[in-house]
Order: sequence, then structure tokens, then C-alpha cells
Amino acid sequence: MSADRTVKLLWSATALGGAAAVASYFVMGGPRFWANWVVWFLFLLTLALGALFLVALEHLVSARWSVPLRRIPERLASLLIPLCAVALVGLGSLKTLFPGARPEAALDPLLAGKAVWLGVPCFSARVALCAALGLVPLVVLLRGSLRQDRDHDPRFTIRARRFAPVCMAIFALLVTQAAFDWIGGLTPAWYSDVIGVYLFAGAFMAGLAATVLAVIYLRGKERLQAVRFDHFFNLGAFLFAFTVFWAYIAFAQYMLMWYGNLPDEVLWYQAHTGGAWLGVVVLLALLHFFVPFFALVPRDAKGDLKRLRWVAVVVLAAHWLDLYWLVFPALGAPVFSWPELGFALFFVGATLLWTRGAMAHGEDMPVGDPFLREGLEFRL
Amino acid sequence: MNETFAVLGLFDSADALMEAVPKVKARHLGRLEAYTPYPVHGLDRALEQRRSPLAGMVMVMGVLGALTALLFQYWISAVDYPIITGGKAPSSWQAFVPIMFEVMVLFATFTAGLGMLLLLNRLPTFGHPVLQAKAIRGITRDRFALAVEAEEGAGDGFAPVARAALEAAGARDIELLPAPARGPWLTAGFIQKSLAGIAVACLVSGLVMYGAVKLIPVLPPMSHMEDQPRLDPQAQSTFFKDGRGMRMPVAGTVARGFMPPGFASEDEAARLVNPLPRTPAVLAKGRAEYQIRCAVCHGALGNGIPTLSAAYGAKPANLQAPNFQAYSDGRIYGAIVLGKNAMPSYAADLPEDARWAVVHYVRALQRAQNAKDEDLK
Repeated sequence: MSADRTVKLLWSATALGGAAAVASYFVMGGPRFWANWVVWFLFLLTLALGALFLVALEHLVSARWSVPLRRIPERLASLLIPLCAVALVGLGSLKTLFPGARPEAALDPLLAGKAVWLGVPCFSARVALCAALGLVPLVVLLRGSLRQDRDHDPRFTIRARRFAPVCMAIFALLVTQAAFDWIGGLTPAWYSDVIGVYLFAGAFMAGLAATVLAVIYLRGKERLQAVRFDHFFNLGAFLFAFTVFWAYIAFAQYMLMWYGNLPDEVLWYQAHTGGAWLGVVVLLALLHFFVPFFALVPRDAKGDLKRLRWVAVVVLAAHWLDLYWLVFPALGAPVFSWPELGFALFFVGATLLWTRGAMAHGEDMPVGDPFLREGLEFRL
Repeated sequence: MNETFAVLGLFDSADALMEAVPKVKARHLGRLEAYTPYPVHGLDRALEQRRSPLAGMVMVMGVLGALTALLFQYWISAVDYPIITGGKAPSSWQAFVPIMFEVMVLFATFTAGLGMLLLLNRLPTFGHPVLQAKAIRGITRDRFALAVEAEEGAGDGFAPVARAALEAAGARDIELLPAPARGPWLTAGFIQKSLAGIAVACLVSGLVMYGAVKLIPVLPPMSHMEDQPRLDPQAQSTFFKDGRGMRMPVAGTVARGFMPPGFASEDEAARLVNPLPRTPAVLAKGRAEYQIRCAVCHGALGNGIPTLSAAYGAKPANLQAPNFQAYSDGRIYGAIVLGKNAMPSYAADLPEDARWAVVHYVRALQRAQNAKDEDLK
């Protein structure tokens, strides 16, 4: 398929999906529309943050093996720019989906004490602050990396390593804000300390899966030819490890709350595993853990491009399902029909258009990085 | 000894070794083996070695471990001795998961470790020709060796050909490994020495242990729980103000089965109805309790002619007498709880259900001694 036709197809998919999404607002009502919006906002936010985490991690620990791949998560992290707009539009959901932002919150003894923190002004301020904070790593790490392509200045590498801990702190703040506000805010009476870590595990998997897909796609286009089996093996091993980490966190939270049986914890699980949601939980466990785990457990599988590709697709689908499971019980029983498909078309199309543009930006590898050679010669 | 075990080619880097492997392999001289200071990824594939079955073994044993833990816990907590803990059902799978995980890891790691060492690597091995090589120091540090092993009956021509092949593949150094003298290692002398060594080790360690325990008194090997920070029953305590070691129960405490009767006289008790059904089990319990507590005075038949009557001045009641036949169940129960005439209260000895079982049994005794014709039908 020629490049022009691909772009046209993406534009028409985005337009069609957008039309369906807007139509769903008027046909299905506000809550359904906003729930979809929040799910997709969180999906892309976690994906971009996961990619940013990969970049920051490389600088933080002075990793060499991932230097040839770094440009890919950098480009994926640039999604944080359009996501600012998605977040600001998403603030429209506050009065519909978030009990703490409704005027009735003042009458609810559970919410009255937190009314200011959960209220629209404070919530919006946090979102705006986090959006601004998210742009800082882009300016420091991404622009500097692109400049290094041209001037081959090793001082950027030093600066990036110094900035990496700060970037990690920003990352932690952003993930926690997303988890506590956008997910926790849906059920303000629920207490979970670990929901931030849970979202982080999902975010890392999403960012990594997207990176794997992008690298495999670019290799198919005769770019990034220098990336070898050893690099893919490491990506696969990372994905495998975090599959287990996600399952560990997910089960740990569930088991402790199940054991404790406290009303401020367990009621959330009652709503999220009751009725038809139980089927969603089983599907989530299968797609987010059992399928990737058993697909990646053999040694050769971690470097097998075909397998990595479909596992990455499964992981991304499972991550969407994860967020759907976190957000949609606020509306009641599980629902899935054309509005969800329309939203998927719109956001996937728009994301691919954006990343397509980003992939054409600068070199495919950080050619100015002093450790690129070492990264290319990486052996397991 | 002119037999050759293998020709060893030494390389300076893993990459040089990896490049040499296919070149030597193409000559089909014999089995190839590589010796490296650290694991080199891809080497097993280059040598076309048989895929290790270890991964499959670990998977099978891991799954087995998880299943073992699941079944064992299910059997313990839901089948053999069901106990409700924390308000959860005895067969709650959620509580089993951590143990399943632990046992899975245990089985899998033991399989990996022991399977690799004992089964697949055939350790312990008492010697290997490569350990005699002059290059072994380098191989464990920074050199990479490729060995071409001679096949059975390879003959004298093998060594020069293998040497040439390795040199052509870029080996920096060549070493010939002579075949080891293969004596049977499990000889009588070896067994004797091993047994003697074990015996000496046991004796020495036993003596040292004995000496340590006897000579160093601060190290009692086992105190048999003598020194527990524990308060024995009826002992004095300096911790509590009243000096009692055993605490008094909180005012109003009621022991299970010893609910206060709720009546003060036999007349009040007469209204009570026996709550127990007349089943063989209840009658058996009543019979057992009657024979322990009651038969000594009232007699095995309840007729007031006991085995020990000579020892007492008092005349125990004849429960077969018409006035006792006319007693209601509640009145008999009241007599047991409150005592009657010289008979003390048995409330402290018999829990509530035992008292009612005794009442049933007394009724049965009365009926048995005054049987009517229709009872025989």
C-alpha cells in the first residue's frame, strides 16, 4: 500500500470514528461518551508515559543496549503534546462521571471533607499542572536528543543523565495523578494505595508493546536494519517480566482487599467483579497475563519477531480492556457496541497519524549519541 | 599414551569463537565442544547441540508444584478439617494462591538446579580431560576454547587434521589433550577410603560438638523449652497488682454450655421442656453420664439400690417410685441443677445438653422397669 493511500485511509478512519463518537454523545448520552473519552485518554497517556519511562530509564541507568532503539520511545512520548488537549477536553466529564465534582458532593458525608480537593477547580488545576509538567521532559530529553543528531555534542548525554532522576519524579507524579484522580476519582469512597503502581505496570507494558510494534514496523520498511536479535530479545524479556509484575500487583491488591473485607475497599471489587464484569475480569486475566506469559516463556520466543508482534497487539488490547474495566463499572453493567468501536477508530487513527508524522521526524537512531556504537554491538 | 581425546583451539574473544564454529563444523571431524569463561548466547545453536530439556522439565514441575499446593490446601482447609477463618469459605481459592506460587517456585527451582547439575550435567564427575589442559587457567578467565573431540578409532591422522582445521578457523593457540587413563573409579580401595573418611568426619564433628557443649556452658544445645517467658498455672505474678498469675474471668463471663439456669426452685423448673430429641445418640450420652454421676447413689436401674449404699447414711431416692414417675422432665432437670435434699448440684459437672440427656435416660429407665404389654408389640 502506498504511503498516500495509508494516510488517506487513516484520515478517513479517524473522521468516521470521530463522527461516531460525536453521534454517541447525542444518542447514548453524556456518561457513555465521557467514559469512553477517559478510557482512551488514559490509554494514550499511559502509553506515552510508558515510552517516556523507557527513555528516562536508559539515561538513568546509563543503559547501552537500548541506545539504537531510543528514538522510537522518544517519538511515542511526543504523544504527550496532543494529549494536553485530550486532557483539557476530558475535564468536561467531571460533572458527569466524578461524584466528587458534583454539587451533591457537599451533602454526602463521605465526600464533604474532600469536596475542595475533588471539586472542579482543584481537579482542573491538577490536570493543567500535570500537563505542563509532562512537557518538561519532552523539551529536555527529546529536543536535546534531536539536536545531538546534528551537532554530535556529548554534553547532551551528560545533561540527560543528570535530568533522568527528575524525569522519573515527574513520571511518578503524572502516573499517580492519573491513577488517583481519573480512576480513583470515579469512586471517591474507595481507598487503594497501590492503584498508582498498578497503573504504572500497565503503562510500562503499553509503552513497551507500542515500542516493539513500532520497531518491527520500521524494520519491515527497511529502516532500523541494525537492530538485531539481541535487542529484540531484551525487549521481549522486559515485556515478559512486566507481564508478571502487572499480575503480581493486580492480584496483591485484590487478595489483600478480599482478605481485609473492609467496606471502603471491598465494595469497589464487588462492583467490578459482580455480574457480567466477572467475565471481563477473566478475559482481562487471560489477555493481560496468561496469554502473554505463556507466549513469551520459551527462550526463543522473546526474540521471535512474529510472536513479539502479536503478543504486543494482545498486550495493547488487554491494556485497553484493563482501563475499560477500571472506568466503565461507574456506569453499571458492561456495555460494548458502536460507540466504543467509533472511539477506537478515532483515537487509534489519530494516534497513528501523529506517530506517523513523528516517525518521519529526525533520524531513526540517535546518531549523535556517543554510545550508539556500543549499543549496536550489544550482545546478550 | 598416544591416544588423543581432543584438540583444543584457543580464541581471544567470543566473536572469534562464534566465527570459527561453523568453519570447523563444516569439516565434520568429530563432536565439537566449547569452553568459555561465561555463557555465550547463541553458542549452543551454533554448535547444533540438542535442545536442553531443562525448560520443559521446569515447566512441568512448576505446574505440578502449583497443583500440589492447590490440592493439598484444598484437602486440608475444605475437606479434612474445614475451618472458617476471617469469615471466608473454607475452599476460598484466593487464600491458596500465595502458597501455590511459593510451592511452584520451590519445585521449579529445585528441578532447575538439581536437574541441571545431577541429571543433565551428570555431576559429580571425578575428572574431565579438559581440566588437565595447560589452557584451563585461561579458559576460566579470558580465553575461549573450541574442542574437536576424536571419535572412536579416529587414528593417528586425526590430530594433525584437527589442528589444521582449527588454525584455519583462526585459533591463536592449539593444545592436544591426551585421552585420560580410564581405570574403574569404584574400586575397593576407593570405597574403603570414602567410608573411612565419612567415619572420621562423624567422629571428629561429634567430639567437637560434645566438647563445645560441655566446655562452653553458655551454649546449652537444647533447653527443651525450659526457659520460656511463661507463667505456670497457679503461679504468682509480679506483673499484676493482685499478684495472681491466672486472671479471673471478666464479671458476667459464661462458659460454653453452662448458661445460668434462669430458675431458683424446682417448681419454676417444672415448666421446662426437654429440648433434645429422643435419639439413640442422646440416650447413649445420657446413659454414659448417668452411669458416671448418678448410678453410684441411685443405682444402675434408678431404684435407689446402689452398689455403695453401705458407705452412706443417707438413703438415695428411688427414681422408680410413683412420685418420681409423676415428675415432669423439667422437675428432674431442676433437681440436677439445684440439687435435692442431700444430693448436691450437678450444674458444674454436667453441661446443659448432658443434663437433658440424663433426663431422657432416667425416663427410659422408669419406662423399662414399668413396661406395659403394648411396649412389647
